[in-house]
Amino acid sequence: MFACIYIPDFPMQASLLPELAETRTALTHSPIAILDGPANLPRVFAINLAARHAGIQPGMTKLQAGLCAGAVLRKRSLAEEESAQSTLLDCASKFSPRVELTVPGAVILDLSGTDKLFGRHNNSQRNAGRENVLQNQVWPRALRAMTAAAAEAGFEVRIAIAANPDTAFLAARGFSANTIVPVGEESRRLASLPIETLPLSTEMLKTLNRWGLRTFQSLAALPAVAIVERLGQEGLYIQKLARGAIARPLLTIEPNPEFAASFEFDDPVETLESIFFILTRLLHDLCSRLISTAQAASELRLTVGLNVRQLQSTKLSGVLHPIRFSLGGDFCRVLPRISENRNGAQEGDQSQHVWKLPVPTQDNNLLFGLVRLHLEQTSFSAPIRSLRLEVVPVKPRLAQGNLFAPPAPEAEKLEITLARIRGVVGITDNDGTDCVGSPHLLDTHRPGSFALQRFSTLQDVRRPCHPERSGSARSKAPTESKAPYPSLKPKGHDFSSPQSSPVIALRIFRPALETTVELDGKKPHFVRLWSRPRRVLAASGPWSSSGNWWNTAAWTREEWDVALQTSAGPGFYRIYRDRLRRQWFVEGVFD
Amino acid sequence: MRAALLKAQIEQTLPAAFTVYGRKNEDRGSLPTGIRQIDNAVCGVPLHALTEICGSNLASSGKTSVLVSLLAQATRDHFCALVDACDGFDPASGQTAGIFMPRLLWVRCGKSRGPQNGRFCRSGVENRVKLPPLEQAFKVADILLQSGGFTLIAVDLSSIPECVVRRVPLSSWFRFSRVIERQPAALVFLAQEPHATSCASLVLRVTSDPDELSGNLLTDVFSGNLLTQRNLNVEVVRGREKKPVRSERTGFSLHTQWA
Repeated sequence: MFACIYIPDFPMQASLLPELAETRTALTHSPIAILDGPANLPRVFAINLAARHAGIQPGMTKLQAGLCAGAVLRKRSLAEEESAQSTLLDCASKFSPRVELTVPGAVILDLSGTDKLFGRHNNSQRNAGRENVLQNQVWPRALRAMTAAAAEAGFEVRIAIAANPDTAFLAARGFSANTIVPVGEESRRLASLPIETLPLSTEMLKTLNRWGLRTFQSLAALPAVAIVERLGQEGLYIQKLARGAIARPLLTIEPNPEFAASFEFDDPVETLESIFFILTRLLHDLCSRLISTAQAASELRLTVGLNVRQLQSTKLSGVLHPIRFSLGGDFCRVLPRISENRNGAQEGDQSQHVWKLPVPTQDNNLLFGLVRLHLEQTSFSAPIRSLRLEVVPVKPRLAQGNLFAPPAPEAEKLEITLARIRGVVGITDNDGTDCVGSPHLLDTHRPGSFALQRFSTLQDVRRPCHPERSGSARSKAPTESKAPYPSLKPKGHDFSSPQSSPVIALRIFRPALETTVELDGKKPHFVRLWSRPRRVLAASGPWSSSGNWWNTAAWTREEWDVALQTSAGPGFYRIYRDRLRRQWFVEGVFD
Repeated sequence: MRAALLKAQIEQTLPAAFTVYGRKNEDRGSLPTGIRQIDNAVCGVPLHALTEICGSNLASSGKTSVLVSLLAQATRDHFCALVDACDGFDPASGQTAGIFMPRLLWVRCGKSRGPQNGRFCRSGVENRVKLPPLEQAFKVADILLQSGGFTLIAVDLSSIPECVVRRVPLSSWFRFSRVIERQPAALVFLAQEPHATSCASLVLRVTSDPDELSGNLLTDVFSGNLLTQRNLNVEVVRGREKKPVRSERTGFSLHTQWA
């Protein structure tokens, strides 16, 4: 047996899908017309029942349809229809792995082997007749389950179950309610359907109408030989369809590996609230699909389509320069892309944002939080006209937490925390270095070179047995090998145990403070600090270093560690002279 | 009689008005600083409590070294966060001190470059005023406390002008102390002067030895034309086990990485 899930007025329902359930219900009872065609003369493409009752007909112009009181006119969106089609396929895939995408808004399922899903008949029932049981108990249960699943997905559908796919499709398309066509009664049940239900060409329909054929019954009653003589093999095929006598294999589709959802705004939007509203819906759909396929998102991509025409009118600059900045997992990047139409003019601009998640997740609230916090920090140079979300699916993480790992923030929660912190302190500084992360020393001799890596609690590696000592021009001895640290616990520390000797830390001034130094011979004698000359009590140096002399980032400096006389006591500072700029700087204080 | 009546009336309106939130006497855990003298004096930095480490910003008091040593000890077994209000942390010093960097979250406040390429003016976002570093640091500390999971949250305010930090209302410190009380974490503020008053369970004031550069000690500090050692004093201004406050001083030495 086969079941066909058919969405009447598919373009209309697809346009309503992103709305809230209450809004959708309210709009369903209003006359809605979907417009399609050139921008200067759109025509009515699809209507709902209320619009039909209100007098709106397909093919009307926008002006004619607008005369109808209370009519809601919407522009057709292929992206929304694509998303709706994906949602419908996911809905059908819950019941059967063999699904055929017949036409947009209609899928056919192979129901063989779904006994466990919809219930099976016992022995006594088997004695009473298997077909009767299926007819009276199993298939009505299947209809109810599929209708409920479709309603949960936001669709109002008609479902038909029949012995062959085409009969199921025609019954779902033609009848106004859910239908079960018993085996062997296809011709009788389809007899009352109008002949327009068949997939006929315009010429064929005119011919049949000229012959006075109005229903399936009248077409099925004609002799097959006479049909072939007049209409050829196509006519015979049509007649077999009307009789429900075509048994063809189902053209199943492979599960869609792409998890994507799109939305196009009727008019470009300028407020984040509108975007968040749509994103919530799209993420909910994507996560529902992930859950239904037992997968999780490891990467999230958001493509924002910008209205460049408005950009040109607002004359904002700098939009075409690619920007890269860190966010979320590894990084989030913005890749502006300019596409040109056939006339060579700039037609659209897109910016892509990518989140690589440290932990695969199915939580739409988590994903929405990441997107929201990022968009609040991101600048858009023009109003937004479209959104597209893509998810890279992977198997969910099936790992048990390590009992011996240090207590750490939850990995999923940490991403939101880091995004919130970035929202407060920013993403990068003026040099492009991240503001939030784990410090990491770069492999260079240049003092003060560091980078911030992504902070993660998942890739927690074991601490080395002894701390690494960074190389220095003043290192007297090679690194000492120390015994492994004793395991410390929060409670009951043995503070009398020997510990590593603490070192003097340097507090850096970023950027370094420009200063003037009075020399006594070659040694600093007075250093101007905080607008006051400070006497040098003791000095250690000079320590010369240089690097990158082979390129434009060359540096060379002469360092001194000095003890300055201050009002609060001796202050130990590191000063250096930039030989290229011939300028003295205070790099930091030994604090 | 009148007081009892008044108390009954207040309790009727606010049932929890006279509830005493007694602190448990048992040891609630602590983190060692890595400096033996300090650990012996105060048994480390207490968990579930707010700690202040103070010292002069102009003179080299050694407060940053104490914090770095504390981070080095804490990152052995825990994840830590350093909220750097003025971006003064030196990763090279931290690594030399033994901080396990992958377990340290460093938040550099006051360094953002702001909107990137002309945010669309009608989105309503670009009008947000950039917070000053002190407010950023407090906000980030609040987020980290809410998030949980960090055993040590250090907030470095030492480069913020004293007059600015003094304006922080006492209610903020009180709120921090109440939040950290319920979490197995230590909240450490690094500042020039103590500000949290009674909200802090431990207040350490680090100062340099006044005789450090006089006489024979100078040769200890600058040994063979090298800055090798610092002699410092730490005063326990406020401690958990010493109430009423009775300050206690102890001396300790720090060495440079090349010593």
